[in-house]
Amino acid sequence: MEDLKDLTIKSFGEGLREKKFSAMEATLAYFENIKKMDPSLGAYLHLMEESAATQAEKIDLALQNGEELGPLAGVPMAIKDNILIKGHPATAASKMLKDYVASYDASVINNLKRSGAVFLGKTNMDEFAMGSSTENSAFRLTRNPRDMERVPGGSSGGSAAAVAGDLALAALGSDTGGSIRQPAALCGVVGLKSTYGTVSRSGLIAMASSLDQIGPITKTVSDAAQVFMAIQGSDPLDNTNAGIAYDPKEILEPSLEKVKKLRVGVPKEFMVDGLEDKVRSGIEQAVEKIKSLGVEVKTISLPNAKYALSTYYIIMPAEVSSNLARFDGIRYGARDDENKKQSLLDIYLSERGRGFGAETKRRIILGTFVLSSGYYDAYYEKAQRVRALMRKDLDEAFKEVDVIIGPTTPTTAFKIGEKTSDPLSMYLSDIFTIPANMAEIPAISIPVEKFKEGELPVGFQLMGRRFREADILSLGQYYEKLN
Amino acid sequence: MPSPINKKVLQSISGLARLELQEKESEKILEDLRNILDHFNELQELDTSSIVSEVIPERDRKIFREDDERIGTNLGAGKELFPRTEDGFLAIPPVFKD
Repeated sequence: MEDLKDLTIKSFGEGLREKKFSAMEATLAYFENIKKMDPSLGAYLHLMEESAATQAEKIDLALQNGEELGPLAGVPMAIKDNILIKGHPATAASKMLKDYVASYDASVINNLKRSGAVFLGKTNMDEFAMGSSTENSAFRLTRNPRDMERVPGGSSGGSAAAVAGDLALAALGSDTGGSIRQPAALCGVVGLKSTYGTVSRSGLIAMASSLDQIGPITKTVSDAAQVFMAIQGSDPLDNTNAGIAYDPKEILEPSLEKVKKLRVGVPKEFMVDGLEDKVRSGIEQAVEKIKSLGVEVKTISLPNAKYALSTYYIIMPAEVSSNLARFDGIRYGARDDENKKQSLLDIYLSERGRGFGAETKRRIILGTFVLSSGYYDAYYEKAQRVRALMRKDLDEAFKEVDVIIGPTTPTTAFKIGEKTSDPLSMYLSDIFTIPANMAEIPAISIPVEKFKEGELPVGFQLMGRRFREADILSLGQYYEKLN
Repeated sequence: MPSPINKKVLQSISGLARLELQEKESEKILEDLRNILDHFNELQELDTSSIVSEVIPERDRKIFREDDERIGTNLGAGKELFPRTEDGFLAIPPVFKD
């Protein structure tokens, strides 16, 4: 088995078909790495050794029999623990779901199974995907494999750490306000949030339903494109699914001529004070490299971008408070069923009080508050109007340019514990990623350069028009060829 | 502008949210919420009177399906995980106290 560090989905597929290694050998090599590294890294919550071996065996048998293999045949993947895989735990890193075993497959899991992927395990995350550092997990701490004293970002921190640490070749995360792109940036890997409605949310434990999307975390943009094509598609189980038919050639084999015709905009509001110097110089470096491809880059304006954080932290908790009402200690959660003296209301109050962590409680309270009589107009209604304004700003910007570039995060990975006592400073980590969720547009975080030992990674973000994943993925694929 | 949230409001909100909070938790949440709501005040400087609240046209379409039996939904999934059943029904604790 070759060095896992050098593997990409593309080279894995070639190696497997040329019989340089088998799917089983690859799976075992990843589990060996997991056993060695994960006790200190903390990327996984649950390993799936037995089912992974069965999946790998099937791929090897199909290859032996000369059957046609799926595009992700044998690819060892990690899955965020808020995505259901039948027969396996899905805790969303919450005590509320510590004993929950999924009784059906999420639609993305069905799609990945058809593509031949092998699932290594379920990854750690902030509880119910609420957080930017994975420190809100009820079960364990995840460290950043680039610097073990620092956070991997969140909420898909386990997935990003697994890919960056070579404990999986690719992973799935979910992104409500940046939860794929921010950890990807902090761990030096690629993270894609596609247009709302392109990837089915069926089988994703809901956080904020108007914003949530599942997406890939990978080592390269080309790998992200592969996984995106495997998981997207229409699904009758998700009625917000847009049913768009993507052209695989445009996404997987982009043309340089088309890339050169793209117009790229840098919002002046994104290059503000407060950006860490290393991030600022990283973005400037990325812009120069993009120009070197022959692409036109200009300054644009998103005048209401600065309101993104406030708007998001009203709309998202409102949806959280509604979605998490189902975790009531009856349908989900452990309860003392023999205590007949307890009424339903007692159970709701005590089980929810016991089962949820601090950040989850904070958001449920905030969401209930902004939706409550007397405060609804001043907060929720106002935020929905500002969301419309932000969407309009982006529509205007996309009349001038095809792609928007900016930082993914205001800082590089921060120290473990640095922001846990101040929620507002933690929330600021998402300031550049939120607009894409609010406007439902696709966005990707790409490392500015290849990881150098002893340095913290910087990611830049490309945002595109709705359903134009091809623009950001093709520009990204040519960008990474320059590295 | 005085903070719209205080101990009494928080008690009422946590009741609506069906969330029991310990005294220490309440204090921390109250402090955090005051800071967060203070930050939200920046939205008041924006004039949004002429803006129509967020409507997403693509999603405003009505999604109907044929009114026939479907297979492949997840209906009934998870029943086997329910802790207690009686005569084929899922048993839950009493709605009212004894």
